[in-house]
Amino acid sequence: MGLQLRSFTLQALATAGGLSLLLPLGGCQPSRPSGAGKPSLTLGAVIALTGNASLIGQDQRLGLELAQQEYGGRQPALNLRLEDGGSDEQTATLALRRLLQEPVVALIGPSLSQQAFAVDPIADRAGVPVLAPSNTAIGIPEIGPFVSRVSAPVSKVAPLSIQAARRLNPKLQRVAVFFAQDDAYSTSETKIFQQSIRSLGLNLVTVQRTSTADIDFQKPIADSLKNKPDLIVISALPNDGGNLVRQIREMGYKGLIVVGNGMNSPNIYAVCQRYCDGLLIAQAYSPETDTPINQRFVALFKQATGSASPPQFTAQAFTAYQVIHQALEQLQRQQANGQPLASMSLAELRRQLNSSMLTGTYATPLGKLKFTPQGEVIQQEFYVAQVAMDTTGKTGRFKLLSNPAPDLR
Amino acid sequence: MEAGLLVQMLLGALLGLSVYLPLRCGQLSLATPGFFAIGGTVAALLSTRVPALAGSGSTYPIASVLLEMVLAALLTGVLALVLGRMVLRLRGIYLAIATIALVEILRVVTLNLEFTGGAVGIFGIPQPFQSAEGYGAFTLVLLALVCWMCDRLEKTRPGRAMAAIRDDELAAASQGINTADTKLLAFVLSALVAGITGVVAAHFLNSWNAKLGNFDASITTLAFVVLGGSRTWLGPVFGGLLLTALPELLRPVGDLRLIVFGAVILVGPLIFPQGLITLERLQALWRRRPPWLALPSNRGRR
Amino acid sequence: MDHLLQLLLNGLAVGAVYALFALGYTLVFSVLGVINFAHGALFTLGAYFTYLLIGGAVGANGLIAGLQLPFALPFWLALLLAGVGAAAVALVVERIAFRPLRARGSDPLLALITSLGAGVILVNLIQLLVGAESYSIPVGTLGSLPVALSIAGAKVRTVQLLLLAIAGVLLLALTIWIDGSRSGKALQAVSEDPVTAQLLGINSGRMIQIAFGISGFLAGMAGGLVGLSVSIAGPYFGIGYGLKGLGVLVLGGLGSVPGAVLGGLIIGLAEACVPADFSGYKDAVAFGFLFLVLLIRPQGLLGRPLAEKV
Repeated sequence: MGLQLRSFTLQALATAGGLSLLLPLGGCQPSRPSGAGKPSLTLGAVIALTGNASLIGQDQRLGLELAQQEYGGRQPALNLRLEDGGSDEQTATLALRRLLQEPVVALIGPSLSQQAFAVDPIADRAGVPVLAPSNTAIGIPEIGPFVSRVSAPVSKVAPLSIQAARRLNPKLQRVAVFFAQDDAYSTSETKIFQQSIRSLGLNLVTVQRTSTADIDFQKPIADSLKNKPDLIVISALPNDGGNLVRQIREMGYKGLIVVGNGMNSPNIYAVCQRYCDGLLIAQAYSPETDTPINQRFVALFKQATGSASPPQFTAQAFTAYQVIHQALEQLQRQQANGQPLASMSLAELRRQLNSSMLTGTYATPLGKLKFTPQGEVIQQEFYVAQVAMDTTGKTGRFKLLSNPAPDLR
Repeated sequence: MEAGLLVQMLLGALLGLSVYLPLRCGQLSLATPGFFAIGGTVAALLSTRVPALAGSGSTYPIASVLLEMVLAALLTGVLALVLGRMVLRLRGIYLAIATIALVEILRVVTLNLEFTGGAVGIFGIPQPFQSAEGYGAFTLVLLALVCWMCDRLEKTRPGRAMAAIRDDELAAASQGINTADTKLLAFVLSALVAGITGVVAAHFLNSWNAKLGNFDASITTLAFVVLGGSRTWLGPVFGGLLLTALPELLRPVGDLRLIVFGAVILVGPLIFPQGLITLERLQALWRRRPPWLALPSNRGRR
Repeated sequence: MDHLLQLLLNGLAVGAVYALFALGYTLVFSVLGVINFAHGALFTLGAYFTYLLIGGAVGANGLIAGLQLPFALPFWLALLLAGVGAAAVALVVERIAFRPLRARGSDPLLALITSLGAGVILVNLIQLLVGAESYSIPVGTLGSLPVALSIAGAKVRTVQLLLLAIAGVLLLALTIWIDGSRSGKALQAVSEDPVTAQLLGINSGRMIQIAFGISGFLAGMAGGLVGLSVSIAGPYFGIGYGLKGLGVLVLGGLGSVPGAVLGGLIIGLAEACVPADFSGYKDAVAFGFLFLVLLIRPQGLLGRPLAEKV
């Protein structure tokens, strides 16, 4: 190798040169509102449009778009900036930092709790309110004063369905638990399930760990059926969980099955089909809720997709947008002499929006919502539904059981 | 460019170098994400569970980060010594798969252990820097140091031994090169680089979990080296910077983003089979340098 | 002994899919000496093809939302055609991602990356077209067969037995073809030594296409079968199998057809043997096993020892 150019400094120079070539490609010229432009505000959203979690992200995207359609045009006008946060922490971090370069008043997202632990501190340090539509893990609002959520934490929702199962079959004793060990939500949820199983004096006969990438569950099912359970409790996501349910039924299990909130989605119908029938599920959202706002939301959803049962993720994303918009409206009303909000300094607007958001009460598709000062959601209604599949076995609905909401105030 | 992106690009370059080091002596090891995950876990555990490291100020002391780096380097180094002895007898794709197996075993074990936080991982990792710029400067210094190490390595005896093994292992052995030790050296260095990179990444990402070292990461980091070029350390650095930035630069194409990204990975090696950075291209660039870049005297070959 | 039988059946059913998967890898490896990272995407594609051909409708999220073919084929025909479709895509992948590299005699390492690129394109294209939701082949597709059978006290889902049977037939047909036919022998000759094979008048370019075609066909069929057995869990659904298949491939020995089968069955059985209390370690068991075998036998169970110069 007769090479003269082996000098470290030169190669370093070359790298720097290459880097500087990349700089203009970054192409980020923050579109600051130009002085006397239209007083419209920007709302950022980081959701998973690619990767494993895109199943969640595509539901959320629809919810945000419906909310934009419903509220974006009302005063104060709000624009939605949607960025793909991928299904990993790095992509979410980049998407969020990208949005922070824009004059966003608040952020919605990210799709996964793991991502929230990575990106929310950044937004919090920047003083930008983040409202999580789907992070249910323990510890999310505690990340910082600017972090809050509309997704009820798993500890509130999960125990209800076990209690409901007990009411349906007072004789049940032996419980088998399954959970997807590589999913943060499911691992948090199963802890709550297991606690409430024990506290009801039931006998936890086996705990099976599965993975969200698994598609064949014969082995863990065979292992758990050996213990003759009369209740099976599953914490998983729609795909793997739906498969698990189908295979459990095909292997001949006849007893009750409780599934966690991760499977609270019409997406499961396609997976477990007629075997979905009878599943018990505690919900933070029910399409059957009989309130004007929910009927409006369901109508919007039906217009967009032709189906009348929006998934919970869609409802929660819609709600997140709605809450932020209504908090802005409230803030606008408080402005002396009707100054447009856009004339306020961005940092001040974000701070006021955050406190306005946390003090309001909202009538949403999820029911009446308010927040603790910390940013934890206080949801009035929870539901326990039982899946009822139609005769074709292709689609079904979540039929509400009598409202079991405990006193949460 | 946004400073956060720059930090991730620099981290990508470091990981590229970690894959590059064993490849310099012809060893296709994909263990980098595993050691990266270990480094991150060490940092996450120490900084969240050891109050003594937190210092008294509002930010986490950089000295503590450096200490974490030392401990992570020690742990990954020792592990690499032991594992390297076992796996470096394997060749080609067998070595690649054996290292992927290690990464996968590590991921599953991390998921199952209580103290690593399972799937949620460890969060609330304290921040040594208030801004991404701080991380950028720190990581840049780290990258410069590692580049300098690689550069020294390429010019010294062990480095030349590595190149000889890559070209022809039998011939290298017959010239009296201790091939086993040389390969092990490259493997251990690779692990150290990945481990300390994990420490920085854990602080930068605020949280850490098992997913951060998985099969996808193994293959992506390999792409850094292949697309950048594996004949000089500049290749993986450039590949790491470019391929980490690319999906971000492609955001304007929206839903087509990852399809275009895939097309770049597909077409890149077809157009640049030796990688983007080759010695020939560097030489050509050097010949056309502007006059002000002339060195006072040509130091010639070593 | 019903427990042992149950274990065996579970292990075999899973292992058969692994084996099918690894066979696709191994065919390409034997002629080119490289691994095709787009294989998992071909598997996924086969599953979606099957779903569409039996008359399934696309959901609401992709570009072709609501699309439904005007006909519905019986399952076996859909499965075959899905295999053919995946084979056609495999040929395109060969043409774009492999042939240009081969023509130039480039480093085989490059093919890992180009095929990875092809896989990324395919997976994301699927998501763009049909969305990320899961699709399911209707439960009644198999007609009047019972959903599960009891064999000497062990319970097994009928579809798993079917999967096992089809996989067995495919494996057998492949073995017979390789050992007993002219083209099969030509394939072996190319994998032994491409240059000599060329001298003997074998068109190695043609053989490589055949290898890719069959590999794609197997991937497509496997995808359709697994789709029937469980469901099509979104565009990323082949990835988990892709990784496991890679382990199986190496365990059995690269380029060895019986090795791929043996490797698949061993890993399937090993996973079935993981005690219930340690179910979380299932994936680690497969790879731990692989790791140990490699330490003892660096060329895999049935692989030929590697020459000193690669």
